[in-house]
Amino acid sequence: MTIRRLFVANRAEIALRIVRTARRMGIETVVPWHAADRHGPAQAVADARVELFGEPPVAAFLDAAALISAALQSGCDAIHPGYGFLSENAGFARAVAQAGLVFVGPPAAVIELMGDKIAARGFAIRHGIPVTPSADETTDPASFAERARALGFPLLIKGAAGGGGKGMQIVRDPSTLADAIAGARDESQRYFGDGRLFAERFVERPRHVEVQVFGDTQGNLIHLGERECSIQRRFQKLVEESPAPALDRTLRGSLCEAAVRLASAAGYVNAGTVECIVAPDGAFYFLEMNTRLQVEHPVTEMVTGLDLVEWQLRVAQGEPLPLAQSAVRHAGHAIECRLLAEDADAGFVPDTGRVLKLQAPQGPGLRFEAGVTEGAPVTVAFDSLLGKLVAHGASRELAISRMRAALADTVMLGVTVNHHFLSRVIGHPAFGRGETDTGFLERHAAELAPPPPTDDERRALLAAAAAVFPDSARDAIPEPYASMGAWRN
Amino acid sequence: MKHLSIDRSAPPGERPAVHRVSATPTGARVDGLPVVLQRTGPGEYTTRVDGRSERVHTAVGGDTVHVQLRGRAWRIERIDPTLATGGASEAQGRSLAPMPGVVTAVLAAAGKLVSRGDALLVIESMKLQTTIVAAIDGELLEIASVVGASFERGTLLAHVHPQADGAMR
Repeated sequence: MTIRRLFVANRAEIALRIVRTARRMGIETVVPWHAADRHGPAQAVADARVELFGEPPVAAFLDAAALISAALQSGCDAIHPGYGFLSENAGFARAVAQAGLVFVGPPAAVIELMGDKIAARGFAIRHGIPVTPSADETTDPASFAERARALGFPLLIKGAAGGGGKGMQIVRDPSTLADAIAGARDESQRYFGDGRLFAERFVERPRHVEVQVFGDTQGNLIHLGERECSIQRRFQKLVEESPAPALDRTLRGSLCEAAVRLASAAGYVNAGTVECIVAPDGAFYFLEMNTRLQVEHPVTEMVTGLDLVEWQLRVAQGEPLPLAQSAVRHAGHAIECRLLAEDADAGFVPDTGRVLKLQAPQGPGLRFEAGVTEGAPVTVAFDSLLGKLVAHGASRELAISRMRAALADTVMLGVTVNHHFLSRVIGHPAFGRGETDTGFLERHAAELAPPPPTDDERRALLAAAAAVFPDSARDAIPEPYASMGAWRN
Repeated sequence: MKHLSIDRSAPPGERPAVHRVSATPTGARVDGLPVVLQRTGPGEYTTRVDGRSERVHTAVGGDTVHVQLRGRAWRIERIDPTLATGGASEAQGRSLAPMPGVVTAVLAAAGKLVSRGDALLVIESMKLQTTIVAAIDGELLEIASVVGASFERGTLLAHVHPQADGAMR
């Protein structure tokens, strides 16, 4: 079938990104908008807009029935969920299909399988994909300590019902295992009312590496290489790149092969990502599979020269994958930085305000995915992603240098944005050497702290501010020292 | 003459310094030193920083100017040395201390009628002497009258009660 009119059930940069590809393919687009988000960048580019209602505003983008009815009423024949919101909601995928619309994503059953983290882990084990060795107390409480010991150290003991680091104990020394079990049980009981435990091999200095896979309805499934996303804060990615800097040929090969095996076994269709952690010794373990387009998909696009949204739409139309595995080429290196409305130097606290000035950097090998337009309010109604900056270079070093220049040229004024912090991160010598793992930001916090302005910088800043501040009556007050003269004597 | 401060330019725990800045035909004078600015577009300038020519981007939002230099954005606040922030107290003739300081001179006495702009007292905050002037015409009800007395930010320094105008009388 052919998609003629596409409903994009999303907002901000990803809505714009999907609309652009659809237009290029001759597909009309309809985007939703909410009163809290009337400055969305996709609205001016899409062929039609549908207003959504609901409080809080995110609820409107999670209202499956309202979105499907908006798609039907605006004459669409397909829905692209983007990422986040309902993109990994099997019920939504099913309801879209039941409404007679094409869901641009995998079948609901696969979303369901991968959405259940325990079922997905079991599925991975059955298909020979390594997972971190673990022991569950509930299967046999009497042998738990023994089974935990057998996993090897360091070990992570955590509450089976837990989350968010509560009740978690890292055991490096086998002799402290008994105490750690008692402590974790105590805390788990206190926090979750459930003292049952779970033990897992603890991977120190893990790298987050993920593989982009793509399947079609004819049974073809290939990978488009990997991405490393180890630069994270509060488990959220800030910087992503492809290829992963520290993988050798063999490890890259086995990681990508494992991802293809897992996705094929699951009957995967459309774009998906198999996420793993890679230990310093090169061992890798399956984390989870994301059944949607990822925020960081542009780095894969930059190194392969492909448009993943185009592939998604083609596959949704029933077409075979445009390329066979052997025809996929990888050239150079790409890095993405997430531009967030937050004060990275004050503990990554989100900031709100208004985008008073926005200027995208320009130059070869650059891509700026804007999630806001000039004048847009930045509120707590939606997430803090204001845009993404992607730089490509013939080598990692060249990609880093392009990114640094591009970050400096990115003007986003009116709300605190993390672009200077990102520039300090990718300019850090350890990042340059590819020494990245999920503890990077914490370990290098001191070196990443912002330097004070030089005297020259301070004067330039103040001079520019004085030049643009509108004059006010208050400025007419005579200089204090001048007016003080008479009184001092 | 504007009184400006840069967020985050002070070490943690210390208040940012207040700078005296005035626009000049070729740029600005910052704490007595000239800075040459060349306007290149709306809110955009070039200037020399540490011996190199640099672009500066600005955007005004209320009493804050957002300035980006060398890829880093700063907030520059206008410090009003004479008036409290917040229109309500200004309208009521209440002058609140814009920052902590010490009273260095008292220029008017409680009970007197004053006119908008009359000097009421001089304070010193962070090595900056500032004249507090009457924000409105009226009767000076209260004034911090002890020279040498220190105060916290937000302390009421003077309170002028609006007088009915002549036509009403």
